[in-house]
Order: sequence, then structure tokens, then C-alpha cells
Amino acid sequence: MAKHLISLTINGDTYEDLVVSDNQTLLDVIRGEVGLKGTKRGCTTGACGVCTVNDANGDAILSCMTHVLEWDGEAITTIEGLADTSDLDAIQKAFVHYGAVQCGSCTPGVIMSAKALLNTHPQPTEEQINEAMAGVLCRCTGHVKVKEAIRNAHRIEEVVSHAAGD
Amino acid sequence: MLLPDHQYVRVDSLKDCLKSLRENGERTHVVAGGTDVIFNMRLRLFQPDIALSIRRIAEIKQVEELADGGLRIGAGCRLVDLAENALINERYPAFADSIRAVASSHIRNIATLGGNICLKTRCWYTNNSEQWRQGVKECFKTDGDLCHVIKSSSLCHAINNADTPLPLIVLGAVLTLQREGESRDVPIADFYQKDGMDHTVLKADELVTHVTLPPCADRTVFLKIAARKGMDFSQAAIAARASGTGTKAGEVSLVLGSISMAPIVLHEPARLIAEQGITDAAIEQAEEKVRAELGELTSLYARAGYKAHLAKVLVRRALKALREM
Ligand SMILES: Cc1cc2nc3c(=O)[nH]c(=O)nc-3n(C[C@H](O)[C@H](O)[C@H](O)COP(=O)(O)OP(=O)(O)OC[C@H]3O[C@@H](n4cnc5c(N)ncnc54)[C@H](O)[C@@H]3O)c2cc1C
Repeated sequence: MAKHLISLTINGDTYEDLVVSDNQTLLDVIRGEVGLKGTKRGCTTGACGVCTVNDANGDAILSCMTHVLEWDGEAITTIEGLADTSDLDAIQKAFVHYGAVQCGSCTPGVIMSAKALLNTHPQPTEEQINEAMAGVLCRCTGHVKVKEAIRNAHRIEEVVSHAAGD
Repeated sequence: MLLPDHQYVRVDSLKDCLKSLRENGERTHVVAGGTDVIFNMRLRLFQPDIALSIRRIAEIKQVEELADGGLRIGAGCRLVDLAENALINERYPAFADSIRAVASSHIRNIATLGGNICLKTRCWYTNNSEQWRQGVKECFKTDGDLCHVIKSSSLCHAINNADTPLPLIVLGAVLTLQREGESRDVPIADFYQKDGMDHTVLKADELVTHVTLPPCADRTVFLKIAARKGMDFSQAAIAARASGTGTKAGEVSLVLGSISMAPIVLHEPARLIAEQGITDAAIEQAEEKVRAELGELTSLYARAGYKAHLAKVLVRRALKALREM
């Protein structure tokens, strides 16, 4: 099958001349050619959400349900792009603090879904959280702590320093 | 698993798209958001030579206000944008509710209105992996001549599971279908066919480009029943519309979806309510008239008896909701 050269910006780094084929999805290339394994491969039918990444608008999309060629010239963010070298993102800190992780397999997809919600609704309502998170499943049934983390992400520094007794 | 081998072609203008469809329509599968196409390609149920991406065609991504108070919506608009569109929410609340009822926010962030309107019918015998399908005989969808759902049938009974067509039908929406050098307007009420294989009147070289909504001052409602609120396909859904206020309703329309190969317009129950008003007694009588209009029901995705029950329940709930508006 024919190969194509595309350019894809992931987490601010532009990958020029990525060699991809027609039948690869965005997920195939993120994990394969680019080698970022944080984004998980789950059901590949749109039902589990663990492959969630954010598009240039910061919206949550399923990387398994879209041709990689569709994204030529576009920018996306994966779980690896949230933290900078010195510090975790607020939502990651909230996940750590509230223990919103069990086996961890869904966590990248869950966090990228939460991140997309917080981009537009820093202090989301219960309903907004339910709606934004409906498309990503935690099979360890960890949804309560996930929601706690999302609800408190906007004030996580305060929560953490209070817990540390500062 | 990788997608099957095919050629991905992206078109950036309507002109190029229609040209490509003229040249290769029969060998092509249009990909809008891809949320259904990619899934079925992975299952090897769709194996087109060409996947034609229309996601970047700007001409079909706008919402225009019409002089008569209606709207003209590009088929390429993302569901998330339409769900948040102030004009749609204000003028067509039931349509807005149906958009929000589709799948999850993840899917609505890329899925389009055109893709929802053209969504292929679904069946649990075929929308399954290739390995799984090897365990059952080939059916109409897989080049056989049999329907697993009703073995003796000469038709495919796969379900039309799309949510947004139902309010679009009660609202009297008109679809614009374009092929190279030609455009035709088809009321969405005439777009669907009671055949799981050939479920719309769309031709292989045509694209749905726009949806035109006439103004609507009537009360409307959309209700959906699914296993989970977020994410799941409807087990049954309804869109309903009534003129007037309170129990008075001169004109009524009721459209059920997700229980058969095409949306079902309920004539007799609507006529009854229009005649008698939305009273408890009339609702009860209307419910009794529902089953006769559903035609042959299958136990695909839910038991036939349960579907008949849901249809009645939805008619009742929708009429009561309209009465309160
Ligand atoms: C987990 C999951 C849950 C889902 N839940 C729901 C649900 O609750 N309700 C629901 O209605 N759907 C649901 N869907 C199905 C699907 O995601 C939606 O129907 C969506 O709106 C399809 O839009 P799309 O742009 O992604 O379509 P695509 O997958 O791109 O296309 C769908 C079909 O329409 C054709 N098409 C697309 N655009 C055009 C056009 N402009 N002209 C002509 N043909 C066109 C394509 O060729 C294809 O056959 C679900 C899907 C998944 C994976």
C-alpha cells in the first residue's frame, strides 16, 4: 500500500515527514511511529474512550476512530503533553491526591477527557462532569474518585497544601 | 487491528468531492466524522476501495439563518457545534436534545449531522468482528441472501438507529442532495426506506450537503430510551410536535425511531390527538393505536414485545410532555 509523508504536531513538537499509510488511525501512529505509549488502545470501537487525545481546540476525541491522514498539518495533545518538565498539570495532581487511579489502564483517556472538560468549564457541575466523562470507562469502577478529582482540580494547590498542614 | 487496505482521499471543496463521487462513487465510502465508518471498516463490514474524507469541506460546515425564520445547516457541521448553537437551541429545542443524545461527547466532538442522517442500519449479526461473523451464514449485508433476524424475509431487517432524523422529520426538514452538476431537495420524511440494505434514497454519486429547517412555532419534544444515558444507541426514541397550547392541539405529529429499518410516522394516534386534544382519555386511546402502525417487529437489540411496549410508553410520555409545554 502507498505510503504518505505527513506532518503532525503532538504536544507542541512537530513531527515532519512522518511516514504513514492509508489504513492507519491516529492512535496507530501516536503509539507506533511516534512511540508515545501513554495513549492506550482499548476496544477500538468507540465504546471505551481510553484512546482519548485532545484536538487543537482542546476537545476530547477518540484517536482510534479517525484516519491519521485526516490530521496532516494539525496539532493534538496526548497525556504526555500535560505536564511540563518541572510540574504536573492540575488535573494530574488532583488524580494523585484523590487516588483516582486503580489499575491505571484507563487513566490517560480519563485524564484527557477531564482535561477537555476543564478547558471550557474550570468548575464543572455534576451534570457537566457526567456528560463529559460518559464516553470513557473505568473498569475498576473508580468513577467516584475520578469525579472528586475533577471537581477539585481548580483548587488543587490549596487542597494539597492544606492536607500537608501548611 | 489495522483497518483493511484502501485508499484515503481527502477533498477540500464540494466541487472536488462531487467529481470524485462521479468518478468512483460505487467504490467509495464517504467519511465525515468517521465514527461509524471506521468502526465498520475495522470489522471488515465496510471494505471500500476509497475512503473519501469530507471533513474539511468548508461549504458544508455553516449554519445560516433564513429570511423566513428557518435555518440551513451544512451536513458537515459537527454535532458538538450544533448542540451548542444558540439559534438551534432557541428555535428547535427537540432537535438540540436529539443531538445531545447521540453517543458521547467524545464522539459528538468529531461526528457530523450528515453522518448521523446517513448512518447505515445496524444489526448485531453483522456489526460484529469478521471472526464472529464466520460463525453465522452470510446474510444480505455480507453478500448472502438471508436475514438472520427474520429468516424467511426477502428484506434485511437491520435497525435505523440514528437519533437526529426523528425531530428533523416532525420539523419538516428538507435535505439537499448534490451530485456533479445537479441538486435535488428531498423532504427527510421521504429519504428513508424500509429496507436495511438500501435504507435511503441517496445514490452512490450523491452527497447530502444541507439540511433546511422551516420555521416552527409549535411545541416539540424528543425522548430516548437507552441502557445508559450517555453513550448508548436508542432502544427506542420518539420525536413529537403539536400546535396549540395545553390540551388543545390542531396538528400533531409523532415519529418513532430505532425499532425498525426506518423511522415510523404514527398516523392514527396523531390524528386522534389532533381531533380530541391531549387529554388523558385521548392519550390512552392513542396508545392503543400504536401497535398496529409498527408493522412487523423483530427481536434485534431488544425483544419485539419490549419494543412495542416502549413505543406505547414513549407516545404517552411525549404527549404528556407536550401538554405541559
Ligand atoms: C460507541 C458509539 C455510540 C454511538 N451512539 C449513537 C447514538 O446514541 N445515536 C446515534 O444516532 N448514533 C450513535 N453512534 C453512531 C455514530 O457515531 C453517529 O451516528 C454519528 O453521528 C455519525 O456521524 P459521523 O460524521 O461520524 O459519520 P461517518 O461515520 O463519517 O458516516 C456515517 C455514514 O454516513 C455517510 N455519510 C456521512 N456524511 C455524509 C454526507 N454528507 N452525505 C452522504 N453520506 C454521508 C457515510 O458514508 C457513512 O455511511 C454511536 C457510535 C459509537 C461508536
